[in-house]
Amino acid sequence: MNTIGAAIAVFTGFGSGIGEGLVVAKAMEGMARNPEVAGTLRTNMILGCALVETTGIYGLLIGILCLFVG
Amino acid sequence: MGKVFTLGTFDRFALKIGEGAFNGETIVSLMVMGIIVILSFVIYFVFRHLDPTKPEKGFALFIALFFEKIDNMANDLMGKKYDGFGGYIIGLTMYIGLCFLIALTGLPAPLTHLGVTLSIALCTFLLIHGNAARANKLSYFHRYIEPLPFLLPINLLSMWAPLLSLSLRLFGNALSGFTIMGVLYWALGKVSYSIFGGFIGCGLRSVLVAPIITPILHCYFDLFSGLIQTLIFIMLTMINVSLEDPDPNLV
Repeated sequence: MNTIGAAIAVFTGFGSGIGEGLVVAKAMEGMARNPEVAGTLRTNMILGCALVETTGIYGLLIGILCLFVG
Repeated sequence: MGKVFTLGTFDRFALKIGEGAFNGETIVSLMVMGIIVILSFVIYFVFRHLDPTKPEKGFALFIALFFEKIDNMANDLMGKKYDGFGGYIIGLTMYIGLCFLIALTGLPAPLTHLGVTLSIALCTFLLIHGNAARANKLSYFHRYIEPLPFLLPINLLSMWAPLLSLSLRLFGNALSGFTIMGVLYWALGKVSYSIFGGFIGCGLRSVLVAPIITPILHCYFDLFSGLIQTLIFIMLTMINVSLEDPDPNLV
């Protein structure tokens, strides 16, 4: 039962993967449009990726909790 | 899987107050605080004996650049009204960054203890609400009955959301890196044992493969991810505090 719960929790990676892909796609578009701000865009992209990644991390955390604590 | 968790990884989820308060992570967190205090005195004495007419170099230059960068970031994001926040932000950066870096030495990572991250987030949480109350005066309490008065219990619950999200973000990141590295060390120990188990003595045979593979992953999980999470934490702190200002453009 714990294992199934952990597997369901890790499905949050689905959403955060799509979100991160959107972030990178838009940043690439911006970089292609005006390459002179590519440095700023890259920094902000990594920051945004890490922020988006948080939901996936919550899922991973709950998965770990399901497996080893519950 | 039993071997990985002899470190006592997973009995630390509970917030232990009382007899179990001084476990490894808490002590390492206190060590980090000690390092920061000593570093502060060193910086103070270095900058006291500095000649202001000459440009800084070496250590002083690094420290000056670091402080100036973070102070400028705080000024840009929060405005002139929150001028004194640079010190808090610099302290936060040094503490969280050092907590991630000290895990590289093999000491227990302080941020894998929920109590540590929860207390950092609690400081920010108190600052958010203290500044909101200071900036909005009595109309601060109006937000709890904001759309309709009967939503008060829901608003009281959602008040705690920044505390949970800030603490769990840091905790989840540190713990996921720590767990993945733990599992990897365990697996590489087994691999090494199966390769070298036949002809090398008992001490060495299970630690020979790990040093080849793990450093690059430590670079990602501890350095890259850790420093980015530090940046995210301080940016969220600054944004959350300055969002409570009723007229943010009036700097």
